[in-house]
Amino acid sequence: MARINPEFSDELKKYGAFDANACYNCGNCTAVCTLSDEDNSFPRKMVRYSVLGLEGEIQASLDPWLCYYCGECSTTCPREANPGELMMSLRRWLTAQYDWTGFSGLLYKSLGASVTGFLVLALAVIAFGFSMDFRMADLLHYGHYFEMGAIALVASVILLPNIIHMWYQTVRKPGTEAGLKTYFTCLRDLLVHMFTQKRALGCDDNQFRWFEHFILVLGYLSLLFTTVFLDWFSTQSMFIIVLGYFESAVIFVVTFDFVRRRIQKDHEISKHSHSSDWFFVVWLFLMGLFSFLVRLFIDLNVLQQNMWLFMLQLIVLVQWALLIVPFGKWTHFLYRSFAMYFQEIKLAAN
Amino acid sequence: MNKKIGVYICHCGGNISDYVDVEKVRQSVESEAGVLLSKTTLFACADSNQQEMVDDIKDQHLDGIVVASCSPKLHLLTFRAVAERAGLNKYNYVHANIREQGSWAHSDNKPGATEKAIKLVKSAIAKVRNAEALEPVKVESVKAVAVIGAGVAGMRAAIELAEAGSEVFLIEREFFVGGRVSQWDDLCITPETGKELVTRLYDEVMKHKHVTLFTGAELAEYSGSVGNFSLKVKVTPRHFKLQCDPGALKKAIEVCPVEVPDEFNFNITMRKAIYHNYPSEYPQLPAIDMKNCTRCGACEKVCDSIDLSQKEEIINLKVGSVLVATGFDPYEPKPGEFGYGEMDNVVTLPQFKRIVHYCVDKLTYKGKEIKNIAYIYCVGSRQVDGENKYCSRYCCTSNIHTAITVKKKYKNIHNFHFNRGIRTYGKAEVWYDESSRLGDIYLQSFEHDPPVVENRNGQTIVKIKDVLTADKELEVVADLVVLVTGMVPRKDNSIGSLLKIPRGRDKFFNEIHMKLRPVETVIDGVTIAGAGQGPKNIMESMNSALAAATKSFSLVASGALELEPTVAKVDTSACSWCGKCEEACPFSAIDRVGQNGNSIAHVNASVCKGCGMCLPVCPENALDLIGLSDVDMESMIDALIPNI
Repeated sequence: MARINPEFSDELKKYGAFDANACYNCGNCTAVCTLSDEDNSFPRKMVRYSVLGLEGEIQASLDPWLCYYCGECSTTCPREANPGELMMSLRRWLTAQYDWTGFSGLLYKSLGASVTGFLVLALAVIAFGFSMDFRMADLLHYGHYFEMGAIALVASVILLPNIIHMWYQTVRKPGTEAGLKTYFTCLRDLLVHMFTQKRALGCDDNQFRWFEHFILVLGYLSLLFTTVFLDWFSTQSMFIIVLGYFESAVIFVVTFDFVRRRIQKDHEISKHSHSSDWFFVVWLFLMGLFSFLVRLFIDLNVLQQNMWLFMLQLIVLVQWALLIVPFGKWTHFLYRSFAMYFQEIKLAAN
Repeated sequence: MNKKIGVYICHCGGNISDYVDVEKVRQSVESEAGVLLSKTTLFACADSNQQEMVDDIKDQHLDGIVVASCSPKLHLLTFRAVAERAGLNKYNYVHANIREQGSWAHSDNKPGATEKAIKLVKSAIAKVRNAEALEPVKVESVKAVAVIGAGVAGMRAAIELAEAGSEVFLIEREFFVGGRVSQWDDLCITPETGKELVTRLYDEVMKHKHVTLFTGAELAEYSGSVGNFSLKVKVTPRHFKLQCDPGALKKAIEVCPVEVPDEFNFNITMRKAIYHNYPSEYPQLPAIDMKNCTRCGACEKVCDSIDLSQKEEIINLKVGSVLVATGFDPYEPKPGEFGYGEMDNVVTLPQFKRIVHYCVDKLTYKGKEIKNIAYIYCVGSRQVDGENKYCSRYCCTSNIHTAITVKKKYKNIHNFHFNRGIRTYGKAEVWYDESSRLGDIYLQSFEHDPPVVENRNGQTIVKIKDVLTADKELEVVADLVVLVTGMVPRKDNSIGSLLKIPRGRDKFFNEIHMKLRPVETVIDGVTIAGAGQGPKNIMESMNSALAAATKSFSLVASGALELEPTVAKVDTSACSWCGKCEEACPFSAIDRVGQNGNSIAHVNASVCKGCGMCLPVCPENALDLIGLSDVDMESMIDALIPNI
């Protein structure tokens, strides 16, 4: 027996949902969805749960993560209830639910809180720069250490517990009994989906979208590897230097296109942008651009005279690593691939 | 027996001739006595073939024709018109149905179908041999119409009739006009209140000199027939003189010691024995409810206008037609139906509307503030096992509109609609849309699995297996449960019984034909309008009121009426009055008259429908039907089964 909570749809609107209540349950959205199938029928069911405020059912469901947002459901909805954007809002809401710190929810719901967070971190980095007298060598050195430390800290303290929480809500609590062997054999799906986003190919819209996203992910992950483990900013290896240029260029070129689309709103998927969407694409663009320029200034031997550029790069990096990665949209990278993983486990167990 | 008869056998394209050998039929009947001419025709109803028949009748001086074709329901009137165009009395035409009763019914047996067709045509020929030219019965018609019920339908019909030029007697049982609509505030789609609508209609009614309104009036007796009804109307006095000082009236109401549940508010409030339902109600003179008045005289002391000595009056009226617009009653749930009568926060939609009327800025009921409202739909309608199988049409729209009103009028309201499929048909669909966009939640179940209302730890819980959420069991804590009740026929059917208006399986007044004759009843001269005929919204009631007014007016407009001559007749020499025919007649068309010192039966031709119910009960065989006499019937039977 589930109790209806009509307040929930108001809560969900804070995460970007529109008019889910307008839904009259025709099911067109589910009928046109190319990813929906018998095992996971969406988005109508999720629209219904949202209207009724069945939070437990939504938390136990992986469906929001299985949608890759082509927007067909929203364009065919006769009541303009915008199921596509509802699924997007549910992903934000779920991100906030998985997060044990509660920061995700705060940042999603309050633009003020987000801006404050970004400002505080920027000021902290500037203060740190002052304390170092803006010495290039020290800043480069600590910047590099910061990256390694932040990755370790965010992954172990925030992301891992949140993934476990997601597992508990979606696998354990609904009563899925799966042996270790299943967890092991399904790992392949986790990796495939994490690095290829293969499922997005099932969406009916332009496959170019998948391709852009695919090379962006590869570019981002490899740049991360190049800067953290190959120490791009300090290396002498020509191969690594060129590789880094290439990777950072991929990031800002692709994200530039993403930003352009969100401004032009020419596709259903880019019509509605929550502040978290803007932060994500703009910061990724800035990271690619600034990294590129920093390395260029190093190669031209002018960084010493233009430490402002490095400071900008560092500010963006810190904001990215401490706000967007643990609490913001970055997490979809993990939750989407883990959702595929958990889904496979659930199917295998039943 | 020396009639010249023309027989036409129709192919109906191939509908008949594919199975019935029409040429063989023609050959079999061409030598029948009296048949002068026999033809087959591809389509008897085609214009050119109709013209050929007209020419045949004129040229050959035919005095009887038979067309063997489709059902008479389709083309009887067509070929009667052919006869009339050719100068032949239309009763000298006989129709034989060899399609529905021949080719279509026996498509698996062609020889059999042909044989049956031959017999059907022969029996038609037998009938036409005896046929006589008949002329319509002519009666005078009084140019006046009685409209019963001064709700919106009755008032609209009265206005229409008066404008057309008829005298109108508008008879209302209550002391005030407006009926159910005056109990409603905001109406749907048009932004006005029920009271405004009633006021507009009342003002228009009062403008017309030819409308006489009786309030507190009931039809007591009725006699006569179409064109000439005699009515006796019993008028109960209001016990008020025409002028009334408002201050004195207020005092009179105050001093009245009698308090009774106020039916206008569906018993959620009390009223005095002196009352008006709302301040601007029409007629604006209050009334005393003598059923509850104790005649203590307290009011008379403070108000000069009160006159407890007024007496009941009987008024005699003569009218040509009666239009019945007596409306509906809201369904009263049975004790315990969804907690009604057992839980103190379960009300009906009509009650809820009155509650909303009285709550200004905070919705409260029995002292408790209401936030969560559960509406249960189709209560008393669409009952699978109960009596009311029908959909009451107005309730979905009315309820959703009320839910929106409530949501906009008060703060923090949550509406939960436990429905069986929403039917906000036509233009009302926009309300459904608006309500869901305002956040109303719709839950649906099927008739065999209705929602359950229960009390759990002092909370009222409404549970449902929601078909829109894959039959998931869901529940809501409700502060108020509103039963969205439908329409039922008036509990008091005295008008229906008096006028003998037949009722349908749903117990509402029945029209002759739902589509083709929607406002006439089998009682000639009695028309029906509004929700007394079945659930209707205001717009539909207006439509039927205008249709019924037009139909009633057509009966009185010219001052004379032509009626079908095919009625029963009495052989005065054989009748010795036993009364059995009078008992058998469903239309009260037979009465007892004196003749040469004896009593005999007399058929009122303007009331008789020619149904034939009186014929078999007559021990003297003194009754016969004109146009379908014993001789006609016997000759037809002989033609059908010649070997017995």
